[in-house]
Amino acid sequence: MEQFAVLTTDERGIGAGVIESCQRGDREAFRALFETYKDRVFSVALYFFGGDDALASDVTQQVFLKLFTRIAQFRHESEFTTWLYRLTTNVCIDEQRRRRRFDPLAAIAPHKTPRARDAAEERVMRGEVACEIASAVAGLKPKLRIAILLKYFEELSYAEIAAALGCSPGTVASRINRGHKILARRLGHLRGTVFHES
Amino acid sequence: MKVELDNIFGRHAARRLSAFAHGELSDAEAARVAEHLRSCATCRAEFDEIKFGIRLAETLPAREAPASLWGGIEASLARDSAPRARRATGARFRSLTTSRLAVVSCALVLLLVGGVAWLHFRPSPGGAWDVSAVAGAPTVGQSRVEKRGRLTVGEWLETDARSRAVLRVADIGEVEIDPGTRLRLVETGQTEHRIELEHGRVSARVAAPPRVFFVDTPSAVAADLGCAYTLEVDGAGRGLLQVTSGWVALEAKGRESKVPAGASCATQPGAPPGTPYFGDATPAFVVALSRFDFAQGGDEALSVVLEEARARDTLTLWHLLARTEASGAGCGRRPAASDDGKQRPSGGARNITGAGRVATGARGVRRRSLL
Repeated sequence: MEQFAVLTTDERGIGAGVIESCQRGDREAFRALFETYKDRVFSVALYFFGGDDALASDVTQQVFLKLFTRIAQFRHESEFTTWLYRLTTNVCIDEQRRRRRFDPLAAIAPHKTPRARDAAEERVMRGEVACEIASAVAGLKPKLRIAILLKYFEELSYAEIAAALGCSPGTVASRINRGHKILARRLGHLRGTVFHES
Repeated sequence: MKVELDNIFGRHAARRLSAFAHGELSDAEAARVAEHLRSCATCRAEFDEIKFGIRLAETLPAREAPASLWGGIEASLARDSAPRARRATGARFRSLTTSRLAVVSCALVLLLVGGVAWLHFRPSPGGAWDVSAVAGAPTVGQSRVEKRGRLTVGEWLETDARSRAVLRVADIGEVEIDPGTRLRLVETGQTEHRIELEHGRVSARVAAPPRVFFVDTPSAVAADLGCAYTLEVDGAGRGLLQVTSGWVALEAKGRESKVPAGASCATQPGAPPGTPYFGDATPAFVVALSRFDFAQGGDEALSVVLEEARARDTLTLWHLLARTEASGAGCGRRPAASDDGKQRPSGGARNITGAGRVATGARGVRRRSLL
């Protein structure tokens, strides 16, 4: 979890001045906003689409282009991050719908065959376990997947996720709970090896 | 802000365990869950599973966005800001309010009105089609189409994320062009009109004899048989045709799929066109069909198609009949030779060839146990 700097809302966000500069068309402010959020948006897109770098790059570009072209409409009635993550969610889900229409096979969740337990430690070294977890996350239903990703990559509270997704905190709690259970079930073969029981 | 979950709290605490682990419950609720966990072995086991799920999710590493991303965004922003700059220049020009300028402006307006009227009412000569901007500013070649323009043979028409256009297909119909589309006029004449759709989405309405209007895509050619349809091509060259009236033929690799109103058909580069299916077919039917057409799904995929087929799906089965025959029983399965060297079916009546199974399926739709 070192990569996820635990930031407070103030630290991880950007000031209202930057947003107002963006609304005036200030290119430097756009750049500052992009630099602040690009990795988080990219990570969400990457794991939403099962580790497809090219697609995640394309989705990230779409998110920021929409953000910049619509930022004049942002009225500070909600948190800027809520607005950003709602946009990210919509772009991810729209892109997935579009891809499914072209390729119904994309609707089939990718599943990797579990391998022998005795090689687990070695696979950690090679990052294969991370790939296996990413694959299991990609296999979650989109509504569960985006809730999990917003929780773990954006470190949002349930209330913030609910605002971004347009549902109740109770629904978010239910989706995250189901997501955890499915991950635990699908990756049960990793229990007690890589993830020693505490 | 703590989550209030009283309405979902039943005898067990299973549905709120993630919220409990994430510290999302109010103090009172957290205390109730903790108390429950002490006395309920079922929920303790469930909580272990949730904690394992949390540890798995926490393991996913964050990734840095590629450094090249900003370049693409900046280029798009620059393209969008160009018209704004032109509008600003125009505003400065208008501020020079001299009488000479007013006279010149009137003359320009008259010329503009005359030009627009001429563009609108003139007959469409061979070799070029009229383009109307519906939203934003599409481009033809390097020029922006502010309202109306012309697309000549060989020129590319492109719409960005916020622009739309309508293309007049000589005197036989029109094509609506959605945002994010790039197409080229290949040919226009008495007997054939043809465009190349590189990517994006178009909706065509054509009133002409069959096989006069064609759309080339990276994965197939759509031949109009007198109809209206939508054709979409993604960045990988995969296509999806949805016909709203009449018929369209999709052709590639020596194979043709005839698609009627209400049906869709997918195409992929390097493969013959997919098998048409009606839009209300079951998701399992559509997925199995895609596996059969593009992912060597063979026997297994065909079985699902037959299981899921409804009476209305005879369109699909009719196409499959020819395809399974053409591919030697459809699943690469040949009759096995017996000990005496004679060819005979590899099994009994339940082990019939792909073509036979499709034929059986076409006769006996609604039967759910064909195999």
